[in-house]
Amino acid sequence: MMEKSKQLRPGLWATVNERYPGSMITKDDFVPLTKLSKPLSESRLTFVSTAGVQPKGSLPFDTTHPIGDYTFRRVPSDSQFEDQEIHQLKYPTSGAERDLNVIFPIERLQELVRDKYVLELTDNFFSFIGYNMDAERLENTLAEDIADAVEEEKPDVVLLAPA
Amino acid sequence: MKTPRAVFVPFMMGHHFGVPFHDDLQTEIILSALGLIQIAEGSGDIYSFPKTWAQARKEGKEIEEKSK
Repeated sequence: MMEKSKQLRPGLWATVNERYPGSMITKDDFVPLTKLSKPLSESRLTFVSTAGVQPKGSLPFDTTHPIGDYTFRRVPSDSQFEDQEIHQLKYPTSGAERDLNVIFPIERLQELVRDKYVLELTDNFFSFIGYNMDAERLENTLAEDIADAVEEEKPDVVLLAPA
Repeated sequence: MKTPRAVFVPFMMGHHFGVPFHDDLQTEIILSALGLIQIAEGSGDIYSFPKTWAQARKEGKEIEEKSK
């Protein structure tokens, strides 16, 4: 049984912003809670990740740019572990290199459809890298671009995961 | 970011869905997030996944040992 958490590290963002001004987006209000409009078993699911996972042969994320890479990649939801590669320097990939599902659970999500827990997956999942130091640019470009791309695929449910 | 709802998974970076080859744990984490969509009471709800990193690693090692 899961328990509700309190704020895990209060004041952390203020501390980070003192060292790296503007690097943390602060908002006064929570994103409004949207209730699920239909059962999960009738819902179309998509997945958005900061894992830097991308199809082999696609333009690699620029992992060495000092302020980050503000682009995203589409990852076909019916593709396999072997079809992907990871371009990311900011988290340990030792587990993901052996089993991509620890960070980008593409096989587990495919199983949810087979098990009829959800109706279907969108054609694509979405991936970008989390190292983006210009928070305003991140919010105004990359976040908007991904939101538009996600909406085009008309999901009912979006699972978001950091890496 | 003040998300509308989230599951906090207390695992090492790069392992938010668990450990290699522990399919059941990976699925359990996904289902906990999807389940929260159905039970969240209000915006800002954060729930803790009830398993430690040490437990996850131990189970993962056992699974890998059995598969050898």
